[in-house]
Amino acid sequence: MTNTQSKSDMQTGYAAKRKLANIVVYIILSVMVVIWIFPIIWLILQSLRGEKGISTKYLIPHQITFDNYVTLFTDERFPFGQWFVNTLLVAIFSCIISTLFILMISYAFSRLRFKSRKTFLNFGLILGMFPGFMSMAATYNIMEVFGLKQSLVALVIVYSAGAGLGYQVAKGFFDTIPRSLDEAAKIDGATRNQIFWQIILPLSKPIIVYTALTTFIGPWADYIFVSYFMKDNSEKYTVAYGLYKMLENQTINDYFTVFCAGAVVIAIPITILFVVMQRFYVAGVTGGAVKG
Amino acid sequence: MDYLDYVQMTKGQRAVYRVTSFFKGIPGALVHFFQLVGFFIKKFFVWVGNGFKGYGSRFSKGDAGTKLSFLIMGVGNMAHKQIGKGLIFLAAEVGYIYFMCVFGMNYLSKLYSIGVQIDDAGTMVDGAIGSQRALYTKNLLGVESISNLDTLDNSNQVLLYAVLTLIVTVAFFALYIANTKSSFAAQELIAAGKKPISFVQEAKSFLDERFHVTLLTLPVLLLMVFTVLPIVFTIFMAFTNYDKEHQPPGSLYWWVGFDNFADVFYANPMKSETFGKILIWTLVWAVFATFTNYIFGIILALMINKKDIKLKAFWRTMFVITAAVPQFVTLLLMRLLLGDNTGLNAMWGTSYPFLSDALWARITVIVVNMWVGIPYTMLITSGLLMNIPEDLYESARIDGANAFQQFTKITFPYIFFVTTPYLITTFVGNINNFNVIYFLTSGGPSPSNYYQAGQTDLLVTWLYKLTVNSSDFNLAAVIGIIVFIICALGSLITFNMSKASKNEEEFS
Amino acid sequence: MVSKSKKIVALVLTAMMAATSLAGCATGSTTTSSTAPAASTAESTGSTETVSAVDVDSDEVMTQIKDAIAQEAQENGGKVSLKVWCSGDDLAFEKTLIEEFSTKYADSRYEFDIRAKGSIGEDSAGGKIIESPKDGADVFNFADDQLSSLVEAKAIAKVADLFNENVKKNNTADAVEVCSQNGIAYAFPKTSDNGYFLYYDKRIFKDESAVASFDDMIKTANDAGKSVYFNLGNGWYSTGVFFTAGCTVEYKDGKQTATYNTPEGLSAAKAMCHLAENIGKGFVGTAGSSGDNATVQQGFASGEFAAAVIGTWMGPAIKDAIGEENVGAAKLPTVLMDGEQKQLHSFGGYKIIGVNAFSKFPTTAQALAYFLSTKDSQVKRYETRGLIPTNSEALEDSKIKEDPALKAITAQREFAHPQGSSVGGKYWASNIAGFGGEIVTAKGKLTDAELEKKLNDLVTQFEG
Repeated sequence: MTNTQSKSDMQTGYAAKRKLANIVVYIILSVMVVIWIFPIIWLILQSLRGEKGISTKYLIPHQITFDNYVTLFTDERFPFGQWFVNTLLVAIFSCIISTLFILMISYAFSRLRFKSRKTFLNFGLILGMFPGFMSMAATYNIMEVFGLKQSLVALVIVYSAGAGLGYQVAKGFFDTIPRSLDEAAKIDGATRNQIFWQIILPLSKPIIVYTALTTFIGPWADYIFVSYFMKDNSEKYTVAYGLYKMLENQTINDYFTVFCAGAVVIAIPITILFVVMQRFYVAGVTGGAVKG
Repeated sequence: MDYLDYVQMTKGQRAVYRVTSFFKGIPGALVHFFQLVGFFIKKFFVWVGNGFKGYGSRFSKGDAGTKLSFLIMGVGNMAHKQIGKGLIFLAAEVGYIYFMCVFGMNYLSKLYSIGVQIDDAGTMVDGAIGSQRALYTKNLLGVESISNLDTLDNSNQVLLYAVLTLIVTVAFFALYIANTKSSFAAQELIAAGKKPISFVQEAKSFLDERFHVTLLTLPVLLLMVFTVLPIVFTIFMAFTNYDKEHQPPGSLYWWVGFDNFADVFYANPMKSETFGKILIWTLVWAVFATFTNYIFGIILALMINKKDIKLKAFWRTMFVITAAVPQFVTLLLMRLLLGDNTGLNAMWGTSYPFLSDALWARITVIVVNMWVGIPYTMLITSGLLMNIPEDLYESARIDGANAFQQFTKITFPYIFFVTTPYLITTFVGNINNFNVIYFLTSGGPSPSNYYQAGQTDLLVTWLYKLTVNSSDFNLAAVIGIIVFIICALGSLITFNMSKASKNEEEFS
Repeated sequence: MVSKSKKIVALVLTAMMAATSLAGCATGSTTTSSTAPAASTAESTGSTETVSAVDVDSDEVMTQIKDAIAQEAQENGGKVSLKVWCSGDDLAFEKTLIEEFSTKYADSRYEFDIRAKGSIGEDSAGGKIIESPKDGADVFNFADDQLSSLVEAKAIAKVADLFNENVKKNNTADAVEVCSQNGIAYAFPKTSDNGYFLYYDKRIFKDESAVASFDDMIKTANDAGKSVYFNLGNGWYSTGVFFTAGCTVEYKDGKQTATYNTPEGLSAAKAMCHLAENIGKGFVGTAGSSGDNATVQQGFASGEFAAAVIGTWMGPAIKDAIGEENVGAAKLPTVLMDGEQKQLHSFGGYKIIGVNAFSKFPTTAQALAYFLSTKDSQVKRYETRGLIPTNSEALEDSKIKEDPALKAITAQREFAHPQGSSVGGKYWASNIAGFGGEIVTAKGKLTDAELEKKLNDLVTQFEG
């Protein structure tokens, strides 16, 4: 066995090993995708199921129908259409207000230096560590004082007022913008107000998108506040709580497939939004460590 | 190790060094933390002391206008030609006095044990927060109703309004001090022969030098009313007997001191045992939930980003889809998929107790949490992996490092270092992970020796159940405070440590 | 300091009382100053002038009710706004009754705005009313065991004598009894079927003797490849086993007692274990998260269940699943306990209607609650919803009398325990459900010592 031969043997051996490794990875990935996608497929299949009941002994429904989707939007007991509109309204308004608040707060803490800055920062940090819904009973009473009891406005306020505490990510982003930009503008006679609107914000597209995305998605998934705030007022529910209600003991048999249809209806737009915007999301979480 | 040793290391070694020093730093950070707490306490008292000193000196050095502004706010500013500002201060004082007279004093006075409630036997119950005695009238049909419905006190209302009054008072006090300072500053400006700042100038400054005030006022105000006020209220609640038996307006509640804390820690065996078990499970859960997601997420990202793997975008999207579907949907779905008689069990004709046996349920929630969370970690670390310079691996390969060694020496340290803050937030987030537990198991299974809780309950889901199911508001408040303390301690310690590791950074 | 403030408060209170009595006189009504609804019989001073109990539907009383409604409307801007809570399943039906009420009591002086909500069901209504009466419904349907805590919290209004006399006259004595506490009536009886019995598939069990004991049933079902369902993992059902063993379960003056930590309690627990040993072999008892209604419907629909312990509310669903002609109903079977077959006991509860003590329209609310509980309403409720009446005449109706479910309830009645006086306070809040759940999960394989410890824990929970 000559030297050259053994070298080529080694090469083919190496290539074969690599090929094997790749095949193993492909197999693992495929198995994982099946596991991950299976519940989603199950959800879609259930939403098309014609038979009533919680579940069936078979995977693929015997009767495939779109009736559940029709029921979803026509049922009187569970006015899903109304809930969808409610959620959309709350999501849009709380998205706008929270994004503005977060940008304002994080800009102030990141770029401006003032006397009580440290105190405020620590204060915000401390407040953020109380469990969010610990004080919801009290918040409910306060809403009552303002005459906002069981209203969608109350939800917008709760989501936006709390959002102010989520300034860290945006602050981290602002910190990475060179301060020399501000200095230059200041020399040109710009006020801090102008710097904020005309220089910093246009540079902050990723973080604006990230903040808007997370604050928009929030209301679609919140269960706790809605359940406590809206109590019996079913026409003011949002989708998350409304759909949850369908799964209560009394109704789950008749409405489980309708629930699945509702879940599909809200999952589609959010999934598309998320998939399209994912790079902003990543940029936001890693605080700019990744260049989108 | 000194600077020279450090700069001679390869990037990978540096990262390893940083990680190990991170863990070595934990005890030091703990010490540092307590020093810091002491420092803040000291600083606070110094601050208060200085405040008084400044207050006194302003009074003694002030002219007639400034002195008068110590009593009637805004007069000093008006005397020093700042009419607009002075009027605002004056309005604030008048407004505050009016507020206290018609509203604040009433509730503040009811706050401390002077309210009375008259019980069924007609005797007074001491110490209730608020006072009430329902008066019943009957109409001609014999239908009874409460005639003084609008004047009945409700402990909740009294407590809430009293807290509101306290917060308004603190704000007013700050304004009052600002008034004396502002008047004194104007006086000094005049004494120095300068023109005091005009109202218009002052207003303009809110767009420039004091732009932070403009930016922060509204968010902070909302935060005060809708977050701080309720939290203070809830903290007070932890010291009352607001439970199933004391629910206003029917029956008022009153102060009980630290009884609820005692119950949770030792006095009530059932509650304290439940608390202990839930606390341990919360921590176990947080550790497992955080690290399983983290490690497997990184591995998944590595596999997808492996050089020769094709269709990268496809694989990634497949996983991202599951992350994008709202959590409550996927979790409720999983609950049915894994139910005793539904989903998989129905299809397979089996009865695996996925969610109904304690051990099974605990493993199930961690596994399902992996299903929920791994795509997120994959998404985030995918981006990071591309940032690792290729030449690092190249040189490692030349040194004869195999794939596993490359991972442990280069990839993992790099990712770990960049994602430490993310890891901390995830850990705190998992301690407070309401969704996964509540939607999946609702805390169950619930054995007979748990108080209002089950074996997969976390402190936060227990808190929620205490509020919603059993109306133990006082106990829920205590749990809330404990969760806060746990999160605060954890975060402050890690915060300190990352500060320490930042210092390390400086010499690289 | 404190005593001074107390004096001031006392003075203010006296002044307020005086003022209200004056105001009361001015509007022509009489005033009593009883301190709480629960208090006293001393208010008779006030009730002497009220309308003496006569038929509510008489013209004279009708006019007076309308006058009272008009006055309430006038005090609240000319409109009578009421909120009603009922079970979501009943919502559509209850709305038709409310419609009838609005027509019957229509008057030019006011307009009705009565909204029915199905989002707070009978199982949770009481708790929600106590939690915040102001947000609660004016008229609410609830299960009778919540009455005691409602009365303790002073959140439920007393029933006016005028209505109560009619209620007492027309309903069964038991039903009237559960609507009152300490001799004072607080609610209107609605249905008498808030208990459970046995529904079975006649194709599997040929006659009543086939469903006499759990052991035989499980064997028959298993041979047919099916199962018998009894939800041990739900305290409402498992308490029945404790009753069977002779445990005392009592709720009185806000105190819960239950002698589960005794030899009898252990016998009950062992009987439950005996049943649970058959899990997977002809017996199903859930411990997990899915509720029993859903499980029963699913079980019959998929052909998995041959019999189930459940109540009338599932009757329509079971009929849908296996066909009306195949549905049998019987009293509960016997369980093997201490070596002998013992008749299984149960809860026999009622669903009743209450009026919020803080309602702004107390008269209208009571009139509506009364209307919802009359014979006509109850018969219609039976026809539409299959719920068994409490009205004595309605129960004599031939169609209702022949109802298999009613027969089963009647047969079980002698072994049924009233819910309101048995359990309350912390009973449901304890982990009574979890106790059965543990037995189910362990498939009955628990030692006596383990059971005893669990029973002790349980007792500490609702007594402590």
